[in-house]
Amino acid sequence: MDALNNLMYGFGIALEPMNIAYVFAGVFAGTIIGMLPGLGPISALALMIPITFAMEPSSGLILMAGVYYGAIFGGSTSSILLNAPGVAGTVATSFDGYPMAKQGKAGKALAIAAYSSFVGGTVSVIFLMLVAPLLSKVAVSFGPAEYFALMVLGLTAVVSLSDKSLVKGLIAAVVGVMISIVGIDMQTGTERFTFNSINLLDGIDFLVVALGIFALAEVFYMLLRGGGGKEAPRNAIGSLKLTRSEVGQIAGPVSRSSVLGFFTGVLPGAGATIGSFLGYSMEKRIAKDGDTFGKGNIKGVAAPEAANNAACTGSFVPLLTLGVPGSGTTAVLLGALLVMGVTPGPMMLEQRPDVFWGVVASMYIGNIFLLVLNLPLIPLIAKILDLPKPLLLSLILIFCMIGVYGMSFSVFDLLLLLGFGLLGLGMRLFGFPAAPLILALILGNIMEESMRRALQISGGDWMTFVDKPISLSLLLIALLSLGLPLLKKRRKKAAVAE
Amino acid sequence: MTKLNTNQWLAVVLALFAAAYLAMAWQVPTFPLPRPVDSDLFPKVLGAALLLLSIFLFFEKPGAIAGADEIDSDASRHGPLWLTPWARVIVTALAIAAYAFLLVPLGFVLASTLLCVGLTAYYGYRRHGVNLLTSLGVVLALYLTMTRVMDVYLPTGVLPF
Repeated sequence: MDALNNLMYGFGIALEPMNIAYVFAGVFAGTIIGMLPGLGPISALALMIPITFAMEPSSGLILMAGVYYGAIFGGSTSSILLNAPGVAGTVATSFDGYPMAKQGKAGKALAIAAYSSFVGGTVSVIFLMLVAPLLSKVAVSFGPAEYFALMVLGLTAVVSLSDKSLVKGLIAAVVGVMISIVGIDMQTGTERFTFNSINLLDGIDFLVVALGIFALAEVFYMLLRGGGGKEAPRNAIGSLKLTRSEVGQIAGPVSRSSVLGFFTGVLPGAGATIGSFLGYSMEKRIAKDGDTFGKGNIKGVAAPEAANNAACTGSFVPLLTLGVPGSGTTAVLLGALLVMGVTPGPMMLEQRPDVFWGVVASMYIGNIFLLVLNLPLIPLIAKILDLPKPLLLSLILIFCMIGVYGMSFSVFDLLLLLGFGLLGLGMRLFGFPAAPLILALILGNIMEESMRRALQISGGDWMTFVDKPISLSLLLIALLSLGLPLLKKRRKKAAVAE
Repeated sequence: MTKLNTNQWLAVVLALFAAAYLAMAWQVPTFPLPRPVDSDLFPKVLGAALLLLSIFLFFEKPGAIAGADEIDSDASRHGPLWLTPWARVIVTALAIAAYAFLLVPLGFVLASTLLCVGLTAYYGYRRHGVNLLTSLGVVLALYLTMTRVMDVYLPTGVLPF
C-alpha cells in the first residue's frame, strides 16, 4: 500500500505540465541522438548535464531518464536499419533485426522493437518500485569473485551462441579482452601494449571497435557481394502491423526477457548489454525454431529489446538506493545528480522522496511517450532504406567517421576504425563471430579488475573463485553453457550415424 | 608435405600472434611494491589461452564458411580490374585512410563531401547531380548539428565556416 501511495505522490510530480514536457523532450532527443551511430546514451546524457544544471532535481532527472530510454531505442533503430549499433546494448538486436530489414520487414522489426521496449520498460518499472530494496541487498552481497564469475558467465553465454564453432567464438572473446586491456593499467599505472604511442595510452574506445567490426565491415562485405555497381532491388519497409500469431510468438520472449533484463540491470556492471545478450541467448536456446535465430526471427528482436529496456530501469536500483552506478551511463547520471545537489543513497528515499518517486512515475510516462512517439515515426525513420545503395554505403562511412572523430578528435582513431573494419571483414569471411569480441571488449576491464581484486583479497589463492557458493554456481552455469552445444552436436552426430 | 586447410593456416597465424603477445606480456614491467597479482598476469593468461585455442582450431575440421561463397564472382571475371569486388574494398580502404589524413587540412565539410561523392560515383551511381546534392546536404546537416547544436568541434579547414 505504501508503494502505491508513494507512486501516486510520484505521479503528482511527474504529471506537472512542465515535467511532461521534459519527458517528451528527453525521449525525442534521446531517440534522435541514439539513432546516430556513434552517439549513445552516455553522450546524450553528458550533453544534457549543462541543460539540467539549473533545473529542479526531480525535473532534471525526469528529463535524463527520458533521454536514456530514447537513446537505447534510437540505437535499436540504427541496428535494425543499418546493422550499425552505436550503443552496446542494441548489438543483439541487429542479429535478427537487420536480416528482417533485408527481407523487407524493417517496419515489422521496428514495431516489434517499440512494443518490446514498451513492455520491457513498463514491467521493469513495476519491479523497480516493488522490489528495489530487496534486490539492492542481493547485488550488494556480490564481491569481486562473484563479479568475475558473472562476467565469465556473460561471455560464455554469448560464445555459446556461435554454434558453428565454439573454438572460433572463444578466440573472438579472447581477442576482445586483449583489445580491452590496451592502455594504462588503472591499478598500477603500468603501460600495456601501447607500443609507446600516446594515442593508445587511454586504450581503444568501444565505439571505434564496434563501428569498425559491425558497420564498416558490413560496408566492405556489401562491396564484396557486388553492393556497389548494380543497383540492388530495394527492400520495402513492409507493414508495421503484427498478426495475432506474431503477437503470440513474442509474448513469451518479451515477458521472460523483461524480468531477466531487469535483474541483470540491477547487478552493477551487467546492464543493458549483458541483459540483451542473455535474453537473446535464452530465447534461442528454448525456442523450437532456435536454428532460425540470426536469420530474421521476430523473437530474436523482441527478446533483446525487452531485456535492454528492462535493464536500463534495473540499473537505476543501485544508483538510486545505494548511490552506486552500475554502468557508464548511470555513472554520468550520478554525476548529474551530484551537480544538482542530490546525493543518491539509502537516505534518498527519506530525504528526497520527490526525486525517487518522481523518477519512477516519469518512467511509466516515458514508456508511453516512447511508444506514442516512435510508432508513428517508424515509416519516416525507415525512409533511410530508400536511398540508392551506393549512396547509402558512402553515407554509412561518413556516419562512422563523424561518430569516431566527434568523440576523440583523433586521426589515429579513424585509422584504427579502418583497421577494425578490415578485421571485421576477415572475421566474417573466416567464420569468426563478432558478438563475443564486442562483449569481451566491454567486459574485459571490469573482468580483470574483479579478478585482481578477488586474488588480492585472497592473497593470490585462485580457490577463492570456487570457495564462494554464488561464484561457484555462476562458473558452473558458465561451464554448462559451453558444454551444452558440444553435447548437442555429439548427439546430432550420433543420430546421423544411426 | 600435406596442404594445410583454412582452419590450420588460421591456427598457425593465431599461434604466432599468441606467441608474440606472450613475449610482450613478459615484458610488462612489474609494480615496485610486491603484490599477489600484477599487471602482467592477465595478459599472460590471455596469451596462453589464445595459444591453446589455436591448437584446438588446428585440429578442428573446417565447416562451410558463411559469406565467403557470396563474393560477386561475376564481377571478378567480367568487369574491369579496378571494379572487381576486392578492388572496391581496397579503394574504399585507401579512400578512408586518405580521408583521415586530409580531414584537418581540408576541413570536415569539404573532405566528407569529396569522399561521399567520389565513392558513390565509383560504386556506380550515375545521377551525379543527386549524388552531389544529397552528399552535401547530409554532410552540412551533420556539420551544423554537431557544431552549432551539440557544441562539438569539427575542423573547418580551407572553408571559412
